[in-house]
Amino acid sequence: MLSVVALFAALMVITSKNPVYSVLWLIVTFFAISGHYILLNAQFLAIVNIIVYAGAIMVLFLFVIMLINLNKESEPSRNRWVKMAGAVAGGCLLLVIVAALKNTEFNDKSAEVVSGDIGLIKNLGKELFTTFVVPFEISSILFLSAMVGAVLMGKKD
Amino acid sequence: MNALIISAVFGVVMMFSGILLKNKSSIRAVAIAGVLVLLSVNIAEMFSGPLLSVSVDGMMRFDRFALFFNTIVFVCTLIYFLLSGRDMEKVGVEYAEYFALIFFILAGTVMVASFTSLLILFLGIEIISIPLYILTGSDKKNLKSNEASLKYFLMGAFSTGLMLMGIALIYGSTGTFDTALMKIGTQSPDLPAIAGMLLLLFSMSFKVSAAPFHFWTPDVYDGAPTVFTSFMATIVKVSVFIGFIRLFDEAFGKLHGTWQLWVAVISALTLLIGNITAVFQQSVKRMLAYSSISQAGFMMLALFAMNSTAKEGILIYALAYSLASIAIFSVLVRMSDYTFEGFNGLARQQPLVAAVVTICILSLAGIPLTAGFLSKFYMLNAVMLTGKYLWLVIFAVLMAAVSAYYYFRVIQAMYFKDGNATIEAGTGFKVLLVVVAALIILVGTFPSNILYWLYF
Repeated sequence: MLSVVALFAALMVITSKNPVYSVLWLIVTFFAISGHYILLNAQFLAIVNIIVYAGAIMVLFLFVIMLINLNKESEPSRNRWVKMAGAVAGGCLLLVIVAALKNTEFNDKSAEVVSGDIGLIKNLGKELFTTFVVPFEISSILFLSAMVGAVLMGKKD
Repeated sequence: MNALIISAVFGVVMMFSGILLKNKSSIRAVAIAGVLVLLSVNIAEMFSGPLLSVSVDGMMRFDRFALFFNTIVFVCTLIYFLLSGRDMEKVGVEYAEYFALIFFILAGTVMVASFTSLLILFLGIEIISIPLYILTGSDKKNLKSNEASLKYFLMGAFSTGLMLMGIALIYGSTGTFDTALMKIGTQSPDLPAIAGMLLLLFSMSFKVSAAPFHFWTPDVYDGAPTVFTSFMATIVKVSVFIGFIRLFDEAFGKLHGTWQLWVAVISALTLLIGNITAVFQQSVKRMLAYSSISQAGFMMLALFAMNSTAKEGILIYALAYSLASIAIFSVLVRMSDYTFEGFNGLARQQPLVAAVVTICILSLAGIPLTAGFLSKFYMLNAVMLTGKYLWLVIFAVLMAAVSAYYYFRVIQAMYFKDGNATIEAGTGFKVLLVVVAALIILVGTFPSNILYWLYF
C-alpha cells in the first residue's frame, strides 16, 4: 500500500503541470518513503527524512519556485532535442541503477521487516556517544563557527 | 589534542571579549595571548606528551609530524596577528569575531594535520572552510567581497559534496573510516575504493587550488579583504596540504603507482597555469593569488613523490611560503594602490620595508640563501629520488624561472622606478618585518636546525 502511494505520488511529481503541485506531491512521496523506513525499523532515518527533506528542503524548493514565479509565459522552451537529451540522460541513470542492482548479492533475508535493530534510535545513540563521541563533540565547533558566521553576515552595521 | 581544545575554547573567549572589552587593542592582546598559549601547549606536547590526556578512540594520531606542523602553523599565526592584526580593524566592526573565526580555523587545521579517520578529515576541512567563507565576505559593503564569498561558498560546497561522496564510496568498499585499517590496494582492484580515491583527489585539489580546480582562487583571493587573503593563502592552504599528504600516504599509500601519474599531471598543469597567468597580471594582489596557485603546484610535487624527503620538504615549504607571503601581504594591506605602479619608489621612502619585501620575494622566487630556495630544492630532490618522471623536475625548474619574471617586477618597481609610494609603518612593525626576514634567511641557511626538531 505504501509502495503504491509512493509510486503514484512520484508519477504525479513529474506529470503535474504546475510546479507547486509537483513539490507538494514530492512531499507525499517523502512521507511514503519514511513509512517504508519505519516498516524496516529504521526510526532515526524515518524521522530525519521527514525533518530534513519534507521539512527543510521542500520549504526551500517552494520558496525558490515562488520567487522565480514560473508561469506559462516565462516557461523555458522545450524543443525536441532537449526532451531527447533528457530521455537519454534518464535512460543512462536507469541503466546504471539496474546494472548495479544486478550485481548486488541477494541473501535470503532481503528485508528485515519490523525485526532489525540497527536503525533503532537507542542503538544509534549508543554508537554516537561511545565510538563516535569525538567527531560528535567536534562537530559542535563546526556548528558554533557557522552560527557565529551567520550572525556576522546577518547583522546590520 | 590539547591545542585542538584550547583553540576551540579561545574561539569562544574571543567572542566574549568582543562583548566585555571595548578597546580594540585589548581584544588584539587577548588574541595574541591565545596564540602564545596554543604555541606553548603544543611545544610542551611535543616534548613531554599532552598535559591533559584525552581519549580520541584512535581517530586522531598526534605524532611528531603533526605536532611539528602545528607548531609551524601557530608560529605563522602569531606573526600574522602581530603584523596584520591591526589592519583587521579596517574591514568591519566585528573585530573580536574575526579573531574567533580564525581560532576555529586553527582548531580545524589541528584536526586536518592529525586525523586518522576520514570523519575527522571531513569535519576538519569543514571547520576550516565555513569560517573562511564568512571571512571572505566580511567586507559587507564591498561588492567584490560579496561576490567572492558567494563564489567560494558555492564551489566549496560542491567540492565538499564530492569529498563526502568519495568518503562514502570508500566506506562502502572497506567498511571502515580508519585510514590504517582500510588496506586499500592489497586485494585485487577495488573499483568503488578507487573511484572514492579519485573523488577525494579532486576535492582536495580543489581545496588547495590546484589546476584544473583553481578557477575560484584568483577571484576569491582578489575579492576577499587583503588581511584575510593573507591568512587563507598561507596558513590554511598549507594545512590542507598536510591533510592531503597524510590522506594519500596512509589511506592510499599502497596504490601509489595508480595515482602518481594523476598527481604528476595535476602538478604540472598547476605550475603551468599559475605561472603563465601570473605574468599578465597588473595588480600585485592578483599576481600573489596566481603565485599561490603556482606554489601549490610545487607543493603537489611532495604529494607526488611521497617519501621522507618530501615530508621534510613540505614542512620547510609550509614555513618558507607562509612567512614570506604573510610579510608581503602585511605590506600590501597598507598600500593605497595595489597595482605594480603602486610600489614605485617605495625603496626611497621606506628603505627597510622595501628591503624586507625584497628578501621575501626572493624567497618566493627560490633564490639561494633563502628558505624558498631550500624548500624548492627539497621538493625537486624528492621527485628525483623516485627515479621516474624526470620531465616533471625539468618542467618545475623552468616554471620557477618564469616565476622570477613577475616576482622581480615588484622589486623593479620599488627600486628602479620613480614614484612616491609609501606606507605607514611604526617601529614595532619594522622590527617584526626584520625578524621575519631573518627567519627566512636562517631557515635558508641552516635548515637542519629546523628539521632537527622533527626527529631529535
